[in-house]
Amino acid sequence: MSISNYDARILKAPHPVPGAPDNWKRFFSFNTDAKVIGIQYIVTSLFFLLVGGLLAMVIRGELITPPADLVDPTVYNGLYTMHGTVMLFLFLFPILNGFNNLLIPTMIGAPDMAFPKLNAAAFWLVPVFAIVLMASFFVPGGPASSGWWSYPPMSLQNPLGRFFNGEMLWITAVALSGISSIFGAINFVTTIIRMRAPGMGFFRMPIFIWTAWAAQTIQLLGLPALTGGAIMLLFDLSFGTTFFRPEGGGDPVLFQHFFWFYSHPAVYVLILPIFGIFSELFPVYARKPLFGYKVVALASFGITVLSLIVWVHHMFYSGTPQWMRNVFMLTTMLIAVPTGIKVFAWIATLWRGKIRLTTPMLFCLGGLFNFIFAGITGVMLATVPIDVHVGNTYFVVAHFHYVIFNTIGFGVFAGIYHWFPKFTGRMYYEGLGKIHFVLTFIGATLNFLPLHWAGLLGMPRRVASYDPEFAIWNVIASLGAFILGVASIPFILNMISSWARGPKAPPNPWKAIGLEWLLPSPPPAENFEDDIPTVINGPYGYGLGKPLVDDEEFYIRRANEA
Amino acid sequence: MMPTSTENQGINYGAILVISIAVGVDIFFSVLMAHWSYSWFPVQASSAAPYVDSLFSLETGIGTFIFLGCTGVMAWVILFNRAPKYDEVNGDPIEGNIKLEIVWTVIPLLLVLAIAAYSINVNNTLSTLGPKQKYRVGDNPAALVSMDPKSTVGPIEVIARQWSWEFVYPDGVRSSELHLPVDQRVNFRLISEDVLHSFYVPAFRLKQDIVPGSVISYSLTPTREGRYRLRDAMFSGAYFSQNQTDVIVESEKSFADWLDLSAKQPLQPGLDPSQPLYQRRLAKGDKGWATVPPSPPPLVNDPGNPSAPHEA
Amino acid sequence: MTTSNSEVTLKHTPGHIKHDGHNLTGFIIFLCSESIIFLAFFAAYIVLKLTSPEWLPEGVNGLSIRMPLINTVVLVSSSFVAYLAERYLHKRNLWGFRTVWLLTMAMGSYFVYGQYVEWSELAFGLNSGVFGGTFYLLTGFHGLHVITGIALMALMLFRSFLPGNYEKGEAGVISVSLFWHFVDVIWIILFVLIYIWQ
Repeated sequence: MSISNYDARILKAPHPVPGAPDNWKRFFSFNTDAKVIGIQYIVTSLFFLLVGGLLAMVIRGELITPPADLVDPTVYNGLYTMHGTVMLFLFLFPILNGFNNLLIPTMIGAPDMAFPKLNAAAFWLVPVFAIVLMASFFVPGGPASSGWWSYPPMSLQNPLGRFFNGEMLWITAVALSGISSIFGAINFVTTIIRMRAPGMGFFRMPIFIWTAWAAQTIQLLGLPALTGGAIMLLFDLSFGTTFFRPEGGGDPVLFQHFFWFYSHPAVYVLILPIFGIFSELFPVYARKPLFGYKVVALASFGITVLSLIVWVHHMFYSGTPQWMRNVFMLTTMLIAVPTGIKVFAWIATLWRGKIRLTTPMLFCLGGLFNFIFAGITGVMLATVPIDVHVGNTYFVVAHFHYVIFNTIGFGVFAGIYHWFPKFTGRMYYEGLGKIHFVLTFIGATLNFLPLHWAGLLGMPRRVASYDPEFAIWNVIASLGAFILGVASIPFILNMISSWARGPKAPPNPWKAIGLEWLLPSPPPAENFEDDIPTVINGPYGYGLGKPLVDDEEFYIRRANEA
Repeated sequence: MMPTSTENQGINYGAILVISIAVGVDIFFSVLMAHWSYSWFPVQASSAAPYVDSLFSLETGIGTFIFLGCTGVMAWVILFNRAPKYDEVNGDPIEGNIKLEIVWTVIPLLLVLAIAAYSINVNNTLSTLGPKQKYRVGDNPAALVSMDPKSTVGPIEVIARQWSWEFVYPDGVRSSELHLPVDQRVNFRLISEDVLHSFYVPAFRLKQDIVPGSVISYSLTPTREGRYRLRDAMFSGAYFSQNQTDVIVESEKSFADWLDLSAKQPLQPGLDPSQPLYQRRLAKGDKGWATVPPSPPPLVNDPGNPSAPHEA
Repeated sequence: MTTSNSEVTLKHTPGHIKHDGHNLTGFIIFLCSESIIFLAFFAAYIVLKLTSPEWLPEGVNGLSIRMPLINTVVLVSSSFVAYLAERYLHKRNLWGFRTVWLLTMAMGSYFVYGQYVEWSELAFGLNSGVFGGTFYLLTGFHGLHVITGIALMALMLFRSFLPGNYEKGEAGVISVSLFWHFVDVIWIILFVLIYIWQ
């Protein structure tokens, strides 16, 4: 078969056409199409989800019994450090940048990102720092083992005294990840500001665009602080300075400020796009307009602003003076207000809707269910007297995983299923998707719910062994973790088989409103090419009978013909 | 939680009844959870514990109410608002409701402000944290912080190491387990000689990081006799999870007797929970990833009894 | 698109127009972000200076201000010179632009040389406690930016000889000039923190 048998536009699409020569090669090249880069990001990060998950299996295997009997404690420490690092820097950040790449240009009607080459460079830094990070498993002394916080002076101890040690590679990898994220953030924000389709004013942007913008603003303002802290940490570790070493006049707590100034908002960088996914999907599967669109949009930036003034709540017991604890308790609690606005708006969107329980909707509902729970434990943790008891215990681990996996992870899966037909041109199998959801929900709940009680009883986090009174909660948690491991099987099966031989997807299988659904599935390389639509209405006109764009029929017809 | 529909003219008694029952059930379970939450904690052994537990109970109650309210509506929607198969029609195109949005902005705002105000009050009542003073490594930190004026016992020096605890009492007695008299406010000077540690006694509901290069004055009042676990709660390296000891809260008289008795004991190696594991590792050929060796055991008058059962 | 849609095509906006002209926006966003790293270092300097139990290393009494002051005057005035170059370019006086641009580069290079001389005469090193660490970190990181600025200016100078270089606008020169002003402002803050506040 020759290339001429294929429509040129389909050949440019990010979907490998079975049988077409050399079609897959673009995914391994410095391709500058945002849709190719988006899929590169998502596939790479799903691979590292498996790596991080495997590390989690070892952790839960160790913790199924009280003594440290499966691996040496030093190995345990390295594994949990790498679990956190891989999951955050190689799974969650890249996969959300994958969504940004796929969705931002298509949703705002732009042909591509503002800086396509920078975009590709940002992606290709991911495998580079992934290799650096994975290489640290093989250096003498093992990988970094001071937790993903890497608090000095513990992180500076470097027992073997070698220049190339796990901690040094870890800092290098994190710094490279930061550069990649900043490249991405500059690109996304510029694209959103400058490249929207005609007629798409700020208050006609889909909420995903609002949340991506709010999240990337945090990246731009917060991440450099961590980079600054990481540079100083590297100098302390490798070049003999004493910024964070008490001998020489340094201050270990100073690093905690740098670290959390970014790393708390980082959680909002992750969850804001998930709020965006929820806000996109609930209207589609409830067939109703998003309730209180403008307030939901603005609440995103409310969260951005507040997120930058809450970091000290991670240091309530670090010797932080009382007045500072009180101030940061208040700012932290205030985040419940804009977040609550969003949660209530989603529920009001569902109310009296026409609910369709597809796989993405199930993941959305499950994610929202878990997030309400996580929000409540979040307010508890913000309360200083309670935090002084449960801080640094498994209660925090449980809360954190309820946010990071049970909400963000669920939102990621919802997004993958929802937009799978659009960007691969194939439908996924609903049955496997539902099995994936049920296993994930049961596994995640069994895994992370019991840990709250272990924490309330006083089990510190990051322990390789524990007192027998905590055993029951850990056994249940480990069981849940193994179910989660099994849950990945239907997911992988579904993704691979659907992409290879799933039924062909129509341009708009969910009858959704949005610019991306006016494009063919998969969209051609430059999206709308020479016919950028003019937006004439808001993004969630379900039941309102108003067209989204001028001359909508033309785009629907063209997408169907493609 | 959710409004009744506004399209019906007149009062919809059915809807009011359903909502009242739902709110009633919600309140019932919230109160139940709030009471139940007390049982999730270890015994209350310090003056801070009742405050922490009641604050947690309050937030559990409010949280349960919100959680059941929200998820109850979600369950209702999933059960009764499902689109039949092949039904492609839209739901009611409701785009918002200003009154409702104001309500669900203002109520959470007032709620968190109230919780914050109450917590600030609790913080001030307990006032556990005294001044934190940095010192030049090599100087004697003990002289830098004066005794907390409200305390009657102390200052007891708490020295954390990788991976052992040492307690030095005002009369010079040293021990591996922390002995405290009941119902007296005790002042500590928290010192670390290597990395960050955290002084955490779950039964006290109190935790304070120990920062190398700083001496921190910290005070608390034990209120119940017994033997409780003291855990290092800030990750401190390879054998972090072994870095535990016990707190023994006893009557004033037994405390004084113990001090007298211990003062007569010679100094001997104290508890050193990581050493056996480290020796085992060395015996196996030092396999595993790199770690600093454990610091030598502290020399104490009373090495304590690690096999005694702890209550919490 | 097929010709049958030509009347429709007119109503829509062609996509290719939107590809260009975002460099300045992107660069300004980058500078905002970059300034946070400096803010982080400044914050570290202030906190450590105020709270560290040992600040100046033994045998060091402080920093001499004369040489850095001359350096400051040169760097600050180079910002005005860069602005002048921009004006020349705007009026399409290319040789005027090149001459004054080269002068800016020379002043920047003098600054780097001055820094080098100062560093080589100091009695303390990177490892002399937190004072030495923060001093070299701040001045070194800033110096790196100055050198980057000079390199970018050299690139712009080279590109000014390419025919048709300014047909799409002067975003490159404007960006580099902006970067130079940024480096300048950072230096003023740094000078006040390190040399004035002793």
